[in-house]
Amino acid sequence: MPADVLEAVGLSRHFGTVVAVDSIDLRVGEGEVVAVLGPNGAGKTTTIEMLLGLRTPTSGSVRVFGGDPTSAAVRGRVGAMLQDTDAPESLTVAEIIDLVAAYYPYRLPTADVLDRASLTGHRRRRVTQLSGGERQRLSFALAIVGDPDLLYLDEPTASLDVGARRAFWKQVRAFAALGKTILFSTHNLEEADLVADRVVIVNAGRIHSDSTPRELKGLLAGRTLELVTDAGDAELAALPGVRAVTVLPDDASTADNATDAAGLRRVRLQAADAEPPLRALFAAGRAASGLIVTEATLEEAFVHLTSAEAVR
Amino acid sequence: MSVVGARRALPDSRRLSPGASRTGGVLAMLATQIGSEVTRYRRMPEYFVGVVILPVILFAMFGLPNSGDVLPGGTTVVAMIFVSFACYGVVSQALFSFGAELAAERQKGWLRRLRATPMPMWVYFAGKLAMNLVFTVTIAGAMALLAQLGGDASFDLRRLLLTAAVLLLGTVVFSPMGAAIAYLARPKAVATIVNLVFLPLSFASGFFFPLRQLPQVLQDAAPWLPTYHFGQLARDTMAPALDVEAYGGSATGSTALHLAVVLGWALLCVAATVWGYRREAARERS
Repeated sequence: MPADVLEAVGLSRHFGTVVAVDSIDLRVGEGEVVAVLGPNGAGKTTTIEMLLGLRTPTSGSVRVFGGDPTSAAVRGRVGAMLQDTDAPESLTVAEIIDLVAAYYPYRLPTADVLDRASLTGHRRRRVTQLSGGERQRLSFALAIVGDPDLLYLDEPTASLDVGARRAFWKQVRAFAALGKTILFSTHNLEEADLVADRVVIVNAGRIHSDSTPRELKGLLAGRTLELVTDAGDAELAALPGVRAVTVLPDDASTADNATDAAGLRRVRLQAADAEPPLRALFAAGRAASGLIVTEATLEEAFVHLTSAEAVR
Repeated sequence: MSVVGARRALPDSRRLSPGASRTGGVLAMLATQIGSEVTRYRRMPEYFVGVVILPVILFAMFGLPNSGDVLPGGTTVVAMIFVSFACYGVVSQALFSFGAELAAERQKGWLRRLRATPMPMWVYFAGKLAMNLVFTVTIAGAMALLAQLGGDASFDLRRLLLTAAVLLLGTVVFSPMGAAIAYLARPKAVATIVNLVFLPLSFASGFFFPLRQLPQVLQDAAPWLPTYHFGQLARDTMAPALDVEAYGGSATGSTALHLAVVLGWALLCVAATVWGYRREAARERS
């Protein structure tokens, strides 16, 4: 086992009567890249603020590198990219980077930081001359300039477009490749899937699951089946291993055959595995054509997980 | 990258990047902070013009025309007006940079980001104070140069240097007043409050006109104001009592009293700032 960089035990935070974070236990080992995934209002930001020592937990404890997260010794090894933090307007990008670098015991060279944040061409720009995406990159630059061993990123790609996101995660992975521990929050599953070694799903202030992206997919979904069949909704839902049934709009495959009279329609089934429901369908003498079987996306697994949580 | 690989490193060992280097410690941190504060404010036209240049221009307009007038003890009137306007510059600077600007930064979330870094907060405040001292020297230096070259002030060098020291002391003393306002008032109200406080204080302390030219009610109120005592301290340093009275029209009172009032006021403001800072820190963490 890698040594624990981060250890939170029974971490809770109440705002009045609202329980934002409800007894979270979390251990992160050195070099891990952990995604904290959850819908808006799940308690991700509050959790990160408590891990950073910027917010006092109502109960529970946080140890970072075995110490108090508010101590200078720990803060010297931690970098954070928070939401809604501005930078001084009349300084240039390079000046702000050098200023923040001076706060840390160790620092990365300015040129290196500019490069890692794709800001080399903007080094002489003032903050006011930067676009939203460039400000995010500056925020990333300030988070890594102290060469932190542990890096927090709170919804880092919230204001970025698809291309910028891809570039950003490339930068994050490059930083992780130095052996750094990274914990980031997101509500985007694809990001968690692509970047993280481990995905912690948080919903309504609690940890719902803690697994690798692969396990997460296997946890639920297995397969998505699309087919044209004459079986009814109730019959489909009762097939072995089927969790959800969606009727898809008519397309060429059903319309051309002009078999509406026979009750044929295109449906999508979420199932643990492909074979058992198909076998049962054939055994019942139902039609099944135009079959497409795909691995379930993380998105589908996630919707299922969190909606189950809401019902509970 | 690998997840649960066999990492031998202990949690307390740094995992430094190849290009990482050690920084210069707390003194280098402070130097960088001061440098960046000076650069920032120098580049803010609304601040630099309003707080650094304006007092110098006002002095040129109201002070220099008195060139040639000499008080009975030999001090020039221009030298006395220099002291008054320099005091005004010091107080306005302290209140605006520590008041209005600090409040704006509080609001913007930059302070929140700083709190997540290992920088001790005193470095932040020390940086601002040092920046104020730099600008005090700039303002007073520009005024003294104008007074000497354009106003025939014939400064006594020893008195001028001592006065500069009093002005620096004033910067240290009135900065906490700005900070206290920044922390006790709502951020949006701070600029208004600073203006409301600053103008009456400057008038009633004799920064713009000698006290005897002011309405009686202001003359009566003056001894209750910390800025008046600061002004008297500076005037007493620049000129002998005879000239201070001839210029201002009021008996000056003891230096010890002036010093005590000014320092006492500073302590009060520091206490209020610390209280306000702690209150805000607690609120942010709660």
